[in-house]
Amino acid sequence: MKCLFAAPLLLLATMVTLVASNPEPVTSRATPKDQPVPESRKDSVVRVNSTNQEYDFFRPWSKKAPINRRGLGVVIDGGRILTTAQLIENTTYIELEKADGGEKATAQVQVVDYEANLATLTPTNPEFLKSLQPLDIDPNVKTGDHLNLLQLESNGTPVSTQALLTSVEVGKYLLDDMDFLLFKVSCPVQYRENSFTLPLVKENKLAAFLMRYDPRSQTIDAVSGPVLAHFLKEAEHQLYRGFPRLGIGFSPTRDPQLRRYLKLQDSDGGVYVNEVNRNGPAAKAGLEEGDILLAIGNKAVDPDGNYTDPLYGRLSIVNLTTAEAYSGQQIPLTILRKGERKQLEISLFRVAPEDYVIAPYLIGKAPRYYVLGGMVFQELSRQYLREWGPNWVKEAPQRFVYFDRFQSSLFPEPRKIVILSQVMPTRDTVGYEQLNYLVVTRLNGVEIKNLDDFAKAAQSPINGFHKLEFDEDPHEIYLDAKQAQQDAPELQKLYSLPALQRL
Amino acid sequence: MMRCFAFVTLLIATTAFAETPKANNVRKSLVRITTTSQEPDYRVPWNPGNVSVGIGAGFVIEGDRILTNAHVVSNARFIEIEKEDDPKRYPATVQFVGHDCDLAVLKVPDQSFYQNTAPLSFGELPEIESEVSVFGYPIGGEHLSVTQGIVSRIDFQTYTHSGVDLHLAVQISAAINPGNSGGPVLQNGKVIGVAFQGYSGDVAQNVGYMIPTPVIQRFLKDISSGHYNRYVDLSISYFPILNAAERHALGLSDADGGIFVSSVEPDGSCAGKLQQGDVLLTIDDHPITSDGFVQLDGARLKMEEIVERKFKGDKVKFGILRNKQRQTVEVELEPNWPYLIQAKSYDVDPRFVLFAGLLFQPLSQNFMEAYQVDDLRVRYFYNFFVTDELYKEHPEVIVLSNILPDPVNAYLSDFRFQIVDEINGRKIRTLNDVAAAFAQPAEYYTIKFLGNTRPAVLESAAVAEARARIRSNYNVPREENLADGIVP
Repeated sequence: MKCLFAAPLLLLATMVTLVASNPEPVTSRATPKDQPVPESRKDSVVRVNSTNQEYDFFRPWSKKAPINRRGLGVVIDGGRILTTAQLIENTTYIELEKADGGEKATAQVQVVDYEANLATLTPTNPEFLKSLQPLDIDPNVKTGDHLNLLQLESNGTPVSTQALLTSVEVGKYLLDDMDFLLFKVSCPVQYRENSFTLPLVKENKLAAFLMRYDPRSQTIDAVSGPVLAHFLKEAEHQLYRGFPRLGIGFSPTRDPQLRRYLKLQDSDGGVYVNEVNRNGPAAKAGLEEGDILLAIGNKAVDPDGNYTDPLYGRLSIVNLTTAEAYSGQQIPLTILRKGERKQLEISLFRVAPEDYVIAPYLIGKAPRYYVLGGMVFQELSRQYLREWGPNWVKEAPQRFVYFDRFQSSLFPEPRKIVILSQVMPTRDTVGYEQLNYLVVTRLNGVEIKNLDDFAKAAQSPINGFHKLEFDEDPHEIYLDAKQAQQDAPELQKLYSLPALQRL
Repeated sequence: MMRCFAFVTLLIATTAFAETPKANNVRKSLVRITTTSQEPDYRVPWNPGNVSVGIGAGFVIEGDRILTNAHVVSNARFIEIEKEDDPKRYPATVQFVGHDCDLAVLKVPDQSFYQNTAPLSFGELPEIESEVSVFGYPIGGEHLSVTQGIVSRIDFQTYTHSGVDLHLAVQISAAINPGNSGGPVLQNGKVIGVAFQGYSGDVAQNVGYMIPTPVIQRFLKDISSGHYNRYVDLSISYFPILNAAERHALGLSDADGGIFVSSVEPDGSCAGKLQQGDVLLTIDDHPITSDGFVQLDGARLKMEEIVERKFKGDKVKFGILRNKQRQTVEVELEPNWPYLIQAKSYDVDPRFVLFAGLLFQPLSQNFMEAYQVDDLRVRYFYNFFVTDELYKEHPEVIVLSNILPDPVNAYLSDFRFQIVDEINGRKIRTLNDVAAAFAQPAEYYTIKFLGNTRPAVLESAAVAEARARIRSNYNVPREENLADGIVP
């Protein structure tokens, strides 16, 4: 399923662009399931057109060509528009457009959470929303409920398609390794203008947001109501703190041989904690690898890592510390350590992407870089690795992919990985043209743990030379410090670099 | 066919005026080799493997021996030799094989085979643009075939038989096709090379490669000890010093040559002798240029060529610059082993241990090819085994490569392609450690893998009960093979 989604998602995006550039309005035929929408509902949806321009991590001084994404947003209380984060990621310009009449207004991002794939927008002119009716969130829809998927015809006529919430699970949202409560909704979706993100409603309340669609199985992956509600509640907080995570990896204890070895009672359930991220809440609370996690709060953990949810039934315990809990909240964990039952009080928080050694994402943030004598130095991030395309795990430099995947055990201390990403040949770099993808360990004898260290060490060449050290061949190279400094303006001009550093 | 043959003979006669008639010479020396081989299947390592038949060429050399390519006789179960003018088929055996230089020496036990044969002798490294003739049995024909071309280039090439060894090779413009392998390349009546590899027509045309005589002579000299010791290696990596700032920083003048030692393998020949940061200025008194070449026999060759011609236990002398001081360092040469993880291996049965339906195998080129592993950690261990010195802790990287499903291992399927770190608290360095750990009586066998996973736990009672069942269900004749490891 996961694999299938990637392509259709792209397709959806291109379709939208295609339609947008077509001067002829596209007329679509209503499917039998399409129904007229009650008047009251129509005024809660606006078109959101966002121009997005992402940074080019291969050329960190540039941005890529801008793209347009057209989706829908839902008006909610407080004069805000709720939409997906994906629609407005790396946005440079957001335009709201009313369904009827096409009145336009600019808007700003108020709060965005790329992990939960949600964002709230506010129109520059609050008057714009006056005629629109805010929708409430319904966080209580359950499997088997009928929902309606809202779309707009090009003439502004709302179209509603019946949909069925077929299952609820904890699954992938926008980013790898960051799962949330996910709705699987069965629904045939036709391509229309602004089809990038679409609301799913139940009885005039917002129940979920479409983020992916697989046309083969006609299945929608939707941001679930509880995640919407959590996001909006957290957004009221002065400083948005995001969805917390325990910061652990666990495996089932279903295997009877393992249970006997660990001396687990059959009534106990529990999962084996096999990974504790050193900067996460679980590590701070003293959870250790090898502990058996028996309960989170008053919810018992079964041998597969599920608990019984009152609304959805068996569900991964990940939900208990994401959508079901808030940053700053205390939760007791019941564990078994060396046969002994223990309670740990855990204080939940989210680890921000910049607090990772290798940031899992850097959306809307300018990449840091430093150019020294034509050699380009950057901090390693997964955003950089993603530049190798959808198959980046196989295509990107394997050492870096390995570092990224196993970063929590490979790099226990907080730091960044500074890399030589490429060389722009000048007379300073003769003989170094082929060097790339090397991890910098030292510059001028100073240990390099982030790009600031690097910039600082670049001020103190030794005997007129910059001595660069890497963790693999060629291990050590030299630059003429004075000459590199003299050549810098020429280099900047030659390769049209707007600046030689961004820190 | 006959007419074609006459034409060939004529051609040679004209070019080789006033010399011994070479065609006759070659006819008396060239042999056609039919090899029945059996290639093991690393996915089913206890099976003997598929049988296939291949054809190559070879030629008689002094000492009643036949020289051919290693790849013509790899994994051989039965070898038959035919002479040009003799209908008889003579069984032969491999006397010595060098998989790192793709050469092999065969013996025919039937002494009558050597009647009417004439051993070929060897010449020197040919001149660029000089003409050569290639003899063999391209695409499996029954009769001798000859193609002609010129010497196009002489440099280091990867020998694709092992996939990791680089030696001197000569590129020639004569067509070399399957079946030419092992055949002699002649110039002025002397063997100047053994045809061994080429490209398929879609990649490049008129590009064939032969193994030149320095490599052949080295092989013949190496085996004269009665054992093939493989190539020796410096086991260092170096970086050219083309940057002016680097030259000055290291204390070199613009006139100096020299290359920068960027790493020294801790178990290799140069360990303790050379160190990272040294500049190699001369090798056996030959000045090394800043891009790593030396002048040798009138040709500009990679400085490694000096080492290439040496043998286990031989010494090589470096003039070096260390901390701006000139000094001399002498190094005793040894073969390198860690790089063999990426070499295709032949003539060995796959190493494995099967325990409770769990198959444990050491990481190797054959393993990676058989399983097409996607697992990131396994690929990292394979690709960076040498550069990141992973062999220090894991001389053999033991992978849980497959699981033969059985009730005893019903919950272990997630562990496939994990790398074994410990068994019952014992650090696993080689496959022999795995076998030894499982041979120890214990109530539970707990296997810890690298990275963050739970331990895999097996109750010995359950393992004992499953053993015969797994063997019979999956037709497993033996549960381990510990022979033929690459670790010294």
